[in-house]
Amino acid sequence: MSTTAPSRDIADLIARCALRDRAAFRLLYERTSAKLFGVTLRILKDRSEAEEAIQEVYVKIWQRADRYVAGNTSPISWLVAVARNHALDKLRARRPAADDIDVALEIPDSGPSPERAAADSEERGRIEHCLGTLDPDRAEAVRGAYLDGYSYEELASRFAVPLNTMRTWLRRSLIKLKECLTT
Amino acid sequence: MSASDDIGGDHEGRNALVAEYVLGLLSTSEHERVGRLIEADAGLRAERDFWVARFAALDDEYAEVPPPAHLYAAIEARAFGEGQKRVSLWENLLIWRGIAAGALAVAIAAIGFNLLQPAPDVGTLTTQLVAALEEEGSDVKFVALYDGSGSVRLTALSGEDVPDRDFELWAIQGDNAPVSMGVIPVGERSTVTIAPEILAGWGEGSVLAITLEPEGGSPSGAPTGPIVAKGAVTRI
Repeated sequence: MSTTAPSRDIADLIARCALRDRAAFRLLYERTSAKLFGVTLRILKDRSEAEEAIQEVYVKIWQRADRYVAGNTSPISWLVAVARNHALDKLRARRPAADDIDVALEIPDSGPSPERAAADSEERGRIEHCLGTLDPDRAEAVRGAYLDGYSYEELASRFAVPLNTMRTWLRRSLIKLKECLTT
Repeated sequence: MSASDDIGGDHEGRNALVAEYVLGLLSTSEHERVGRLIEADAGLRAERDFWVARFAALDDEYAEVPPPAHLYAAIEARAFGEGQKRVSLWENLLIWRGIAAGALAVAIAAIGFNLLQPAPDVGTLTTQLVAALEEEGSDVKFVALYDGSGSVRLTALSGEDVPDRDFELWAIQGDNAPVSMGVIPVGERSTVTIAPEILAGWGEGSVLAITLEPEGGSPSGAPTGPIVAKGAVTRI
């Protein structure tokens, strides 16, 4: 459904939602809810929580449809990001505050802007290629963080390494990934 | 080597931190802090967009799972407020936030309850509750949030003090008499501690009300003045 729906149609439906078109909202839900429910289910790993989350996600989409800027992101990526971020917020709220590390970290002035993202299909091959340049375990950890919303603690335990080792792994992998993606 | 050694203030460290933000690996407070930094810096926003776009290429791996059919009606009710006055009031809140208080005198309070316990067990849920309160005869608007710490944080969106009078917040649960949650200031943020007996019975269907009382609050312990705002608590 969602993956076969032409991207322009989805963008159009989002734009109509911003104009408070309820019929468009229903169509958008029909075409995209299976994808977004897949996202909340995979991250929250609890059916009733995922059902609650998907409702909140679509209420958010209705309320924030005017924030979607066509051309910046593919519309389905934007919707997945809303669902994924909402599920991650719920995960974070579930976790004890004790996993708060490195709060003193400062971000220095930013460097040059990265170039604009290329077409989705090209991106897909690109990220796969670059993940392929990492050690398989580390690539798997990056995927687990993105797709399953695993925390550093969960990743450390899945890969049976100390927490700090996992953080170091991940950060180095992300730096390597960035180099590969921008080359 | 400590975890922060290799992300210390350099350019690469910055890249990794924004990527960690996008992946959702940061703790709540760090996530919020980095989010604010990103919002304030065009370069960091571009960095964030870079990672969002790149990782979005993995979205194909999310399998499609049709949600249960009954959910859509609930979503419409929440989003459009159909058949649920409290939801339409919530929608109204979004509108009122952007306009000056008009001739229609309305009070709104929204309350978000996070029932997360300090040491969450497996399966602990975070529940968010909202109450939109309305009563003609007042221009007071409030947003109230509960973050699990045992107190409600109230933010007045509009409203003015009434000379020699105070606003008092009440909890009404079931058929019980209203229980005072104390006097609340208008026009500024405040925090109201929730008594354990109120917290124990709190949840969907509880009612939050605000009345106008003599200075210092109701002398009798029961509401004596006019209700300026009232509404049922509901999940969001």
